[in-house]
Amino acid sequence: MVFMQGFLDEQFNQLEELQDESSPNFVEEVVDLFFKDSSRLLTNIEQAIDKYPQDFYRLDSLVHQFKGSGSSIGALRVKNECSVFKAHCNDRSLEGCRRSFQKIKREHATLKQKLESYFQLLRQVGPREYAVCSRK
Amino acid sequence: MRPDERKGVVATRRDQFPVGMRVLAVDDDPVCLKVLETLLLRCQYHVSTTNQAAIALKMLRENRDMFDLVISDVHMPDMDGFKLLELVGLEMDLPVIMLSVNGETKTVMKGITHGACDYLLKPVRIEELRNIWQHVVRRKFSTRDRASLDIYEECNKPSNADSDHAHGHVTCGSPDQSGRPSKKRKEYYSEEEDEGEEDNTQETDDPSAPKKPRVVWSVELHRKFVAAVNQLGIDKAVPKRILELMNVEKLTRENVASHLQKYRLYLKRLSAVASQQVSIVAALGGRDPFLHMGAFEGLQGYQAFTSSAALSSFTPHGLLNSPRNNPAVFGTQRVSASKSIQTVTGGHALNHSICDANKYHLSSPGNQQGNLGQGMATSLGQTQMQPKWIHEETDDLSTIFSGNGLANSGMSATLQGVTSSPLLPQELVECTQVKVGSQPSVLTPSVSSGRLEGTVGVSSSLLDSRVSQQTTIPLSGFSASGLPIHGLFNNSCATKLGATSSVSTPVHPSNDLLVARDTKAGASSFGSTMLLPPDTEQKYLNFGGGNSFKHKFDERTADSLFDLKFVWSSSLSSQLASNIGAHHSVSQRWNNSSSNNSNIGARMIGQPSSSASTVEPHAKSDFLISGDMLVPKNASDLSVPKPQSELSSSSCSFDGLLNSIIKVEKDDVSFSDDLGCSDFYSLGACI
Repeated sequence: MVFMQGFLDEQFNQLEELQDESSPNFVEEVVDLFFKDSSRLLTNIEQAIDKYPQDFYRLDSLVHQFKGSGSSIGALRVKNECSVFKAHCNDRSLEGCRRSFQKIKREHATLKQKLESYFQLLRQVGPREYAVCSRK
Repeated sequence: MRPDERKGVVATRRDQFPVGMRVLAVDDDPVCLKVLETLLLRCQYHVSTTNQAAIALKMLRENRDMFDLVISDVHMPDMDGFKLLELVGLEMDLPVIMLSVNGETKTVMKGITHGACDYLLKPVRIEELRNIWQHVVRRKFSTRDRASLDIYEECNKPSNADSDHAHGHVTCGSPDQSGRPSKKRKEYYSEEEDEGEEDNTQETDDPSAPKKPRVVWSVELHRKFVAAVNQLGIDKAVPKRILELMNVEKLTRENVASHLQKYRLYLKRLSAVASQQVSIVAALGGRDPFLHMGAFEGLQGYQAFTSSAALSSFTPHGLLNSPRNNPAVFGTQRVSASKSIQTVTGGHALNHSICDANKYHLSSPGNQQGNLGQGMATSLGQTQMQPKWIHEETDDLSTIFSGNGLANSGMSATLQGVTSSPLLPQELVECTQVKVGSQPSVLTPSVSSGRLEGTVGVSSSLLDSRVSQQTTIPLSGFSASGLPIHGLFNNSCATKLGATSSVSTPVHPSNDLLVARDTKAGASSFGSTMLLPPDTEQKYLNFGGGNSFKHKFDERTADSLFDLKFVWSSSLSSQLASNIGAHHSVSQRWNNSSSNNSNIGARMIGQPSSSASTVEPHAKSDFLISGDMLVPKNASDLSVPKPQSELSSSSCSFDGLLNSIIKVEKDDVSFSDDLGCSDFYSLGACI
């Protein structure tokens, strides 16, 4: 997955390894779950930045959640940007947080796109592969 | 994996272990939870998941034997992961592994001190999960080891019937298989059971027997346990006696023994925290009066609990004599107080508080009291203690409160601090404030809302005492402390304290306080009243909201506490002295107001519930001494009818604290009550 390089880390590989006959679409399921949940989180963060701009504790806490799920699927860049955001919270820099948040959103959107393409690709290729396996 | 492996999980588990090990995974993040579940399944464990800590607890409580291990995220919206960790550890004695994205040392440390047997970082790798079964084995091993291995191995005695092996004789040569662990256990046992006549758990199965069904330590059961322990005295509490006192069917001595061990560790942890605090406080300059903690000697129950050597050391006299401006003394006092508190509270909260307290301590050098509070608070460390408290505390005082949140002890600590200050009425006021602050914190441990209770009660007492004393400041500081104690003891008084606190505008040495106290008795403002200077009395009153302390306080008190703190911190300076005086007066009032005891509810463990009224109004000095005096006399008065009730009862007394400790996991209410009483004592003693 060259085109995914840099966007995902080895955690993603682990997920793929977990995929087997008993859970054939595991990776895609998890990824879908992530994007559903993360959209909600992103909205919360955005609202929080607007409504409670000085509540860094809250912002940090929200991004913390986001970082957690991102790291679970191996979203490397998203995770890194979350760390940056948290650092800004620590410094109590609202401006820094805003900027960082925009980056998070961008990374998130990019990742989503890439993964969607990825799974599409897999679907095209996939069935054939499974068929091969079962034949074996 | 063979089909029967999964199917006969329970039956074959033992043979196939770790395959089929039953894990409960808790994480509010659905992505993480799903990944974790899959990873665990891949390791061939049996997995149950939930995204809410409350549900997890429910599942665990319903059937303790359903799981072998719990994995929980640290950061959860409905309940703090650490809190869940503590509850599971205490109630079910299951190994808990913490999980988090956050791998900072202090967070990991927090996990470990709360009893986590491991701490994993997200994203979790499957390799790490493959080995988590070791924690289950380790725990099983130690439990069994304690009970049967010793016997079994020791001298190769075929029959387990040999009693005392496990405990007493372990030292003799236990076999080595579990040599090390058993040895450790032995020592542990031998310390706790000198009698050695404990029969070892022979009644339980033999060494090779399968694990006995776990006993679920419900709140109720734990409460009985603690009550029994207190009654016997922490040092003399041996499983056999505890079991007898508890009188619970189907509870084996072994169950009690293992629970006791945990409990002691908990207390130790609390006291460790507290002692840290104490030292800090000491540095700040403690007062003798605190020694008077002994006042709570009256609180037998409590004392027992707190192994109160520290507490007992406080002699009422000390209070009186305490050199007001004896920071050094104070420091020591506090230590004991805190120590005592620790034992009482068992320190969950302590951990929190200690951390925070330390923080605060440092921050507010001036606030000796605060520190005390913290120390105390920390010692109380009620699990309940809301860490929030601490965070919120900004000022020293605040810190105290935060610390206090944990336990009344916090309060006492503060009180102590308070007392140390010159007798000046003002000081007293301050002192009380300090205490007040701590009060809230104290309460918290017991109950989230109850937090206030503990502290509030205390503070009010301070106020009162001060008020009356105002000028005389008899015990200087001492009295101040005395008050709190009273508060504790007199459950009812406690409530009063709250009220009085309002009254006591401790801040003013003037009589106003006195008057105020009586009138205000509204316990509600315990926390609040104390802190705010006379004019802020109102605030105090509101703060406590007195009765509702317990639960409601959380939010409110938290706020009020904070307010108070600030207020307090400013006024505190040297109020201690005055506080002391007020102290007496307060105590007196309490006695009088015993009628209000109900709030105090804190059932002081072992405290005679003499109504407050019985106490003489004047005995200021009585009061101090009252730490113990009151207790006996007023116990009746104080005896707040409701154990759980409001903060007042619990906050004041150690009982409340104790309760809180016990209850930490259970309900706030009950907790605060019991502790409240005892806490007070300890607090008083401190003062």
